[in-house]
Amino acid sequence: MISRIGKGIISFYNSIVGVIALFLDILYWIFIGPFKSKPARRESIFHQMVFVGLRSALIVFFVTIFTGIVLAMQSAYQLEQMGATIYVASLVAVSLTRELSPVLVGLVIAGRVGSAITAEIGSMKVSEQIEALDIMAIDPVRFLAVPKFIALFFMQPCLTVLGNISGMLGGYLVGITSLGLRSSLYIQTTFKYLELKDIYTGLSKSFVFGIIIALIGCYQGFNTKGGAEGVGKATTKSVVISFILIILADCVLTTMFYFSNV
Amino acid sequence: MSNNKEVIISLKNVTKTFGSVTVIDNISLDIYRGETFVIMGCSGSGKSTLMRIMTGALKPDAGEVIIKDKNIATAKDSELNKIKRAAGMLFQYSALLDSLSVKDNVALPIREHTKLAENIISIIVKMKLSLVGLRGFQDYFPSEISGGMRKRVGLARAIVLDPDIVFYDEPTSGLDPVVGGVIDKLIKDLSKKLLITSVVVTHDMQSVFNIADRSAMIHKGKVVEINSNQGLKETKNPYVKQFIEGNPKGPMNVFSDVDIQDVIE
Repeated sequence: MISRIGKGIISFYNSIVGVIALFLDILYWIFIGPFKSKPARRESIFHQMVFVGLRSALIVFFVTIFTGIVLAMQSAYQLEQMGATIYVASLVAVSLTRELSPVLVGLVIAGRVGSAITAEIGSMKVSEQIEALDIMAIDPVRFLAVPKFIALFFMQPCLTVLGNISGMLGGYLVGITSLGLRSSLYIQTTFKYLELKDIYTGLSKSFVFGIIIALIGCYQGFNTKGGAEGVGKATTKSVVISFILIILADCVLTTMFYFSNV
Repeated sequence: MSNNKEVIISLKNVTKTFGSVTVIDNISLDIYRGETFVIMGCSGSGKSTLMRIMTGALKPDAGEVIIKDKNIATAKDSELNKIKRAAGMLFQYSALLDSLSVKDNVALPIREHTKLAENIISIIVKMKLSLVGLRGFQDYFPSEISGGMRKRVGLARAIVLDPDIVFYDEPTSGLDPVVGGVIDKLIKDLSKKLLITSVVVTHDMQSVFNIADRSAMIHKGKVVEINSNQGLKETKNPYVKQFIEGNPKGPMNVFSDVDIQDVIE
């Protein structure tokens, strides 16, 4: 029992060291490597941005618009009793931009993109493709991880902005139909209480979530062992760890913003 | 084999252990420029590990691995990368990148290590694919071609930067005898036409007799014999004889003394 706990602690420690080493390696290939060797290929970064951003847009749109609808209806139920139905608009806007949109988009992208990254790199690992890159003197981190990292770092906030807009659209649709609010009044109330800091705190979270998804996805892929079963296990592990870390990071960042009055 | 016998790869007292198992046990050997050198042995004998040490993919625990006068066991990453660029490798399962077309797979090392224009790269790729008999297959993806064709694409990729040395890991495994013969002929032709030093890991004896100038037999991480094809046929070494004949009885106990009859009973 004690030896199992010990092994678990060592494995956890090694994973943290491994993820930090991968992060530093990626930063090296973004900021220093291009001056000494070739940078990551632009076509590859563009391809990843399309995969991460454009092809995730529809699922992000649907998840957040329905969340906006549900949020508006649930809050209207409470606010109606106090005669403050109009505040549904600001409640939806603030809770989406500060919290729900970054986290929901983070979880959606961890499930869709993080799993794909691990499955792709993991399959390449078990079929000797990573070793082939290494033997061809092509750094696998520069070739595979850097384009994915850059794509996630920039596309995660873009998708969060899309989530903010579509979520607010969901709330707006409920407001002007079921709640009988005037369209102009709803929009006015939304922007009256929505501050710039609400948007940038949410976006700053999304940058962190993008980094988490890229790092965990790539790390689990590069450390895949065994055959098809190993790829499956690594993919599941990648999604579960990303989910936990996104919620944990959200908690830490929200606490930081709360105590620094941001 | 080259007449001047210039040593291009030299292993000196190389040892590699994984945990408590010594996979490579104090091996020393020289490989000459232009020759086709085969490393053969049973599964688990350490031959693939030995090749991975030569390619720089694995570092030995002890000993020197000198390739073109540089010890890659102690070389810095930048030096090691230079040596890696001067060598190519054909993997057992080809290891082509699934997401890239045949053309992009073959062009990958050129795009990564040179600043050549795309039209020049296209010409080089066509030329290399012609050498392996695959002209016209540039736009196919690895999943759309057969195992033998994938091996040939892997071979075109391995020679695309005109390397001095090409490593082959089980080049004929999983192929039918005819396609295996085609790959053997390609290895031999490329060695002669492009003056490439070939290091081949295999346990396919037909292939050994087709391509080898010299062969080393490995057993339990040690070199049991190094000999020419003729020498192998005439050898009295019991390990080599057992391996060539494919005899289950002999000094190499694959089933650790378990008699199959006992198991059946």
